[in-house]
Parts: sequence; C-alpha cells; structure tokens
Amino acid sequence: MGVFVFLPLVLPLTAWPIARLAESRLHPRTATRLLSAVAGVLAVCSTLCLGLLMIVGTAQLPGNPLPDAWSDPEVRAALPYDEVAGRAAIPALLAVLVSCGAAARRHVRVRRRAEGALVGLPETSVAVLPDGAPYAYALPGRRRGRRPGHRRGRVVVSTGMLAALTSRERRALFAHERAHLAGRHHRHLLAVHLAARANPFLRPLRTAVAYTAERWADEDAAAAVGSRRSVARAIGTAALLAPPATTAALPAVTGAGPVPRRVAALLRPAPTGRTWPSLFTTVGFAAWGAAVGATVSALSSANSAVTLFLVLRAATPM
Amino acid sequence: MTDRRENEAESSPRRRGQGKLEAHVLSVLKGAVEPVPVAWVQERLGGDLAYTTVITILTRLHGKGAVERERAGRSFVWTAVADEAGLAALRMRKVLDAETDRQAVLASFVTALSPHDELLLRELLAGEPGEPGEPGEPGESREGDR
Repeated sequence: MGVFVFLPLVLPLTAWPIARLAESRLHPRTATRLLSAVAGVLAVCSTLCLGLLMIVGTAQLPGNPLPDAWSDPEVRAALPYDEVAGRAAIPALLAVLVSCGAAARRHVRVRRRAEGALVGLPETSVAVLPDGAPYAYALPGRRRGRRPGHRRGRVVVSTGMLAALTSRERRALFAHERAHLAGRHHRHLLAVHLAARANPFLRPLRTAVAYTAERWADEDAAAAVGSRRSVARAIGTAALLAPPATTAALPAVTGAGPVPRRVAALLRPAPTGRTWPSLFTTVGFAAWGAAVGATVSALSSANSAVTLFLVLRAATPM
Repeated sequence: MTDRRENEAESSPRRRGQGKLEAHVLSVLKGAVEPVPVAWVQERLGGDLAYTTVITILTRLHGKGAVERERAGRSFVWTAVADEAGLAALRMRKVLDAETDRQAVLASFVTALSPHDELLLRELLAGEPGEPGEPGEPGESREGDR
C-alpha cells in the first residue's frame, strides 16, 4: 500500500484553495452543497483511515483484545512507519471521536434549550420576543417532531431588532430566515462543523460554508422581496446595531469579514444560476478539483480498508 | 449507559412540562389585579398542583425576573412583571448568553463586526447610489413605518 494509506489524512489540505474559489465564484447554493458534500466525504475518509491505523497500532500493544496474529510482521509490513503511525493514531482517533461527540451534543442541547425557551408561546412560524437586544435567527424544526407545530421551524426575532428596521427591511429579514428553514441550511452547517472537528485541515470549509449558507439565504430573500438593496440594507442596519466583535471572536482577520462581503455581493447583480461550470475556467477547475480530490480520497480510503481487511483476515487463525 | 439514556428520555419532557407550567402560572398571575398570595394562584390553577409545587414555580419565575414578590406578614405576595412572551425572551436571553459558540447551531442573521468591517460596511451603505424607479428609499419607508 505504501504511503498512500496516509493520503486521506492530508488530502483535506486541498480544501483551502477550493473553499476560497467556490465561495467567491460559484452560486452560493452550489457552493454550499458542493463544499459540505466534499467536507463530509473527506472527513469520513480521514476518520476511516485513522481507524485502520489504530487497529494496526493497538494490535502491537500487549494485553489488547485483538487476535495476536494481527500484530504479525506481515500485517505491519502493510503499513509504512507502523510503529509511529499506529501509536499516534490511537490518541488522534480518540480526540476526533470525543470532539465530534461534544459538538453533536452541544448542537442538540442548544436546539432543545432554544425550543424550551419558547414553550408557552402560541405555535406561530414567527416568535417575536420583547427584548431590547437585537437578534434574529432561524430555529430549525424537527422532521419527526412530537409536536406538529415545530416541524417547520420558527423564526425568532427580538423587538429590538424589528424596531431598528424599516418595513421593507423586516420583510427581507423574514425572507432570509425562512430561506434558512426552507433550505434546511442547519444540516450543511452541522456537517461541516463535525467535519472540521474530524480533520482540522477541513476548517476553511466550515468558514466557507457558514458564509455561503448566509449568501444562499440572502439571494433567496432578494428574490422573495424583489429587491437586492432591501436585503443589503437590512443586513447592514442589523450588523451596525449589534455590539462590536470582541478580539477573541475574530482572531487575525485579514480582508473583509462576512457581513461587508454579503452586502457588497448584494449590491452587485445576481449571480448566474449555472450549477456546474465548465472545466476550462478557474471556477470549473476548482469545482472539478474538489470532486476529483474527494473521489480519490474515498477510493484510497476504500483501498486501504479492503487491503488491511484482507491482510488481517489472512493473518487470523481459523 | 442504560441509566443515562433513561435519564435523558425522562428529563426532556419533564423540562418541557416545567416550561409549560411556568407559562401557565404566569398567565394566571397576570389575571390578578393586585399582589396575590400563593394560595390564590394555586386555586386558579385547577387544584391538582401541590402548594409547594406552586411555590417552586413562582420562585423559579422570580429568579428569571418574570415575577416580583413582597413580604406580607409571614409569607410573600406575588405580582407578574412580564407576560408569556416576556418570559420566553428572558429564557431565550439565558440560552443565547450561555452559548458562546451558538453560531454553529443557530444561524444568526448577522455576525459581529470587527472595527475594520464596520468602516467598510458604512462606506458600502453610504456609497450605494440610489436606484431610480425603485420604491422604498430608506427615508420614505421609515416615515411610513412610524
């Protein structure tokens, strides 16, 4: 197998240029779907690869429950640098599992608490809360909810936010949040969030999808209210209301942050709705590069898995 | 393992039940024209709740800032200071304040601005030329709003 067994661990490095190109050049809908799919595939492959390395790693340890034959030199010959890689894979895989588990639990907890906070209010699609602090967000519903009123999700908005916006801007705000709910954007966000926990090289994809999902909702909102400027103004007004970022929230920002970029994009003409660009453009090259990278990673993980499985089976005494 | 799962399955509906009860007690209390004792609330709740349960709920509401109490003799009398929406807002504020990383879960309309972003944004919004033929210029719309 050679060093190719490590390929799924480092292939996510291709995410950096891909994320940059896709978020600036592709339609936000395409970019969100592409980037979250790529992140998901690469994260699964990387974790699978770590798992296989861990099996070989633990097989060497005395007192492990695995068959003795799995620590056979023949098995270890299948892996280059098995001494180091195998041992390093154990804490790495543990860290990935703990980190992903914590992220998933937090996701469930925040959603449940936010739902719990709204208990006792009429089950409308918009919940207006009397609070001077300006905030607005989409609280996704459950597909198999016990209470039917919550299946479609709700828009939660504070009176502080509504008071600062004109009626047009309010319509834009609601359209934006409804677009999040209708497109079930939280799934994309959760996928990239978990992927970034599984392999830190995938972090640029998380940042990129957080941005493209907002852009996707912005574009849908612009189409729904029929004015790109209203959406741009709503975003601008809302952003200027909120307290400024603390330094901890935005470490080492270079270039413009997501909000000015969203506003600037809305002040430009609408992006074209082409879904899959030609190979012979920069965008097309990036998109195809992402697809090829994900496929190669998947294939190499599958290859590693099958080879290791065969080696281990051959080594297992019947 | 099984214990934990049972706990989770049990705690979620119970917590939701408590949330409903809080809202119910608050709505009853809103019906009072003057500060009322616990027994008054308990009576109007339908009677299947224990006195101590009502006290617990009222105390929790007090902790959230949704009701106020004052001493009258040896016990307290209670007044509602928020309605159901106000209670929901107080609870939601708690959720939002507790989760620094909520960005990952709740897709917020806007994210916080850095000072550099703020400058950029003000420039963008100020430099934006008015589109002729499009109704809803900011001045006009805001006036219509008031």
